[in-house]
Amino acid sequence: MSDKGHHPAPVSPVEQRVAALEALLSERGLVPEGFIEEITRRYESEIGPMNGAKVVARAWVDHGYKQRLLADGTAAIAELGFGGPEGDHMVVVENTAAVHNVIVCTLCSCYPWPVLGLPPAWYKDPPYRARMVREARVLLAEMGCSLPDEVEIRVWDSSAEVRYLVLPQRPPASVGMTEAELAGLVTRDSMIGVATL
Amino acid sequence: MSTPLSLADLDLPRRNGELAFDAPWQSTVFALAAAVVEHAFGGDREPFRQLLIAAIAAQPGRPYWESWTAALEALVQTLPNSPRPDET
Repeated sequence: MSDKGHHPAPVSPVEQRVAALEALLSERGLVPEGFIEEITRRYESEIGPMNGAKVVARAWVDHGYKQRLLADGTAAIAELGFGGPEGDHMVVVENTAAVHNVIVCTLCSCYPWPVLGLPPAWYKDPPYRARMVREARVLLAEMGCSLPDEVEIRVWDSSAEVRYLVLPQRPPASVGMTEAELAGLVTRDSMIGVATL
Repeated sequence: MSTPLSLADLDLPRRNGELAFDAPWQSTVFALAAAVVEHAFGGDREPFRQLLIAAIAAQPGRPYWESWTAALEALVQTLPNSPRPDET
């Protein structure tokens, strides 16, 4: 361990375990040179909710695209160049005045990586995973997304087979905006379904 | 209305995205799992996913990336031993 600084950060047990895994897997030739750096860079800067925002904006301005998106999410998302791990079977669910959709993964942390990046911390936490199924309306309200009683809430549990993406309602005030401007309105939380726009 | 959306026209920083990782070991263990899935399981994520489900269920209160680490350790256990040079 290093003696640099007044408070050298101790190497935690989990860091040691990860270092051991890295050494073992590298020795077995399973981790090509630069692989870790490349994956990290990609998920920190290229893959994230900005991709999903472009999908949503396109669907708002192009009715034909929206129909294709709702019919075959994976293919329509691939039209914009997005795909890859955790995005093989994408289903897009549309919010309307009558129906609000929200996504969860009750068993672990399944999430549509190509369009939303990696999930936020709360998505992976037990309270969200359990309560969104049990009391969606209450939890949504606690998260700042209060919905009128007459709006039906549909909770979609991600699985090995399917990853969901919510198509939020276009804000009424966005009339006349360009597609790029619209994409700038779309938030990650609205595509998970824990916020409206 | 299907003008291609130019990436250059978009100024979309990583809005409302927390950084994906809080510490370097988290991005490392994330990438290690990706490497094993890709290079030892032919891209099939399901074996890892099942182990992650089990790891989370075993200790629901454990920090997420620690469960991820435990799942990857379990996955590595399932790998056949590397053949020694003299075996082939």
